[in-house]
Amino acid sequence: MALGQYHKADSVLHRMDPRFKLVIAVVYMLVIFLANDAAGLVLVLAFLGVAVSLSGVPARLLVSGLRPVLVLVVFTFVVNLVFIRSGEPVVDIGPVSVTTGGLSTALFMATRLLALFVATALLGFTTSSVDLADGMEGLLAPFERFGVPAHELSMILSIALRFIPILTMEKDRIMRAQSARGADFETGNVITRFRAILPVLTPLFMSAFRHAEDLSTAMESRCYHGKEGRTRVKVLRPAARDWYAVAALALLGAALVALRTGAL
Amino acid sequence: MLRAALAAALVSVGAIVSVPIGPVPVTLQILVLAVIVLLLSPGEAFAATALYVALGAIGLPVFSGASGGVGVLLGPTGGFLLGFLAGAPAGAWVRRRVGLWLPGRPTLADVAGVCLLVAISYGLGWARLAAVTGMGATAAFGVGIAPFLLPDAVKVAGAIVVARAARRAGLGEPVEGAPAIPSA
Repeated sequence: MALGQYHKADSVLHRMDPRFKLVIAVVYMLVIFLANDAAGLVLVLAFLGVAVSLSGVPARLLVSGLRPVLVLVVFTFVVNLVFIRSGEPVVDIGPVSVTTGGLSTALFMATRLLALFVATALLGFTTSSVDLADGMEGLLAPFERFGVPAHELSMILSIALRFIPILTMEKDRIMRAQSARGADFETGNVITRFRAILPVLTPLFMSAFRHAEDLSTAMESRCYHGKEGRTRVKVLRPAARDWYAVAALALLGAALVALRTGAL
Repeated sequence: MLRAALAAALVSVGAIVSVPIGPVPVTLQILVLAVIVLLLSPGEAFAATALYVALGAIGLPVFSGASGGVGVLLGPTGGFLLGFLAGAPAGAWVRRRVGLWLPGRPTLADVAGVCLLVAISYGLGWARLAAVTGMGATAAFGVGIAPFLLPDAVKVAGAIVVARAARRAGLGEPVEGAPAIPSA
């Protein structure tokens, strides 16, 4: 299964501290919404373009990763194109008319959405799931004094990650086992097929719950007792590149604010 | 805690695995979420859903259509996901309350629980969709809610069937008035 779109490579973006990457990605996605005209959007895209070129992720891979969300982008484009009526009419076919205002808004909205998705995809392509979990733990660590169980959260996050492929495999196995005993998943109408799926889910839930029990026994018998005294193989330490990225993002944010307020 | 982790993994599997039923791929996301509402405690249901949303938010392709990322969460359809987050514990809580209030009517409690889950998710999803895409409330209902009403009703009904079978096998929270489960 193609879970975790992680693309193994050795680029500046790959080597970045995952804590910085997470924060930068989230802040960038918020900053995108500061842009409200074409000039702002160009700045937003330029930042993203530099990030993509630094990432070492092949363009082909990036495009294929975006295919599932393309529908949403096209949909946003069409809705804005058809529903917004301002400016000069461009096309007028019966009930559907496209205006210049509609066209520019549609382009703007669709591009902004695309930028959001590319940024997310880039984070996924350059950060392994272990790094992501470590990054989350690192970011939550300061909140531990307020009772946020950062270590536990990151632990269950990685457990959930680990079990997605296992449960997928088990689902396939249950379906094969049931097929071997005469279950039919491929013929019949929608309702018949749907009913055939239900008996697959019950054992799947059973096995998930059993895994949870087994895992907690296993962890206890290996003396897992949470964070205290646990050491790590990889210790996260911010490098110069992380601070450069923060500076670049701050610059982008400042430029967008300046554009909005008309100072630029 | 581990149960919640595994449940979150299950929702992810449910959302990724699209069952080729008919022309439109159908995901089991809402079905698995509904089963979680039916089998877990409100706290566990919240933890499982929160974990699922967190997995998606950090960029794993666990949302339906193998998408993922904060972009989806902040995007037009993000409201439905936030709705799950609020709806799952609320649904589990109501299911438990109604079960205590009307012992011997476990089905009624189950229906109330999953309906609340779906209602909260739809409510937030609809509001978000209308706000982000700039289309009116009616248009948002037309594209975001109406086409999914019937399939989701069927899936949720399926969830009740699955949850009952799982309870017979001794899983999930004890239900008032249900036949006692023989201990292993």
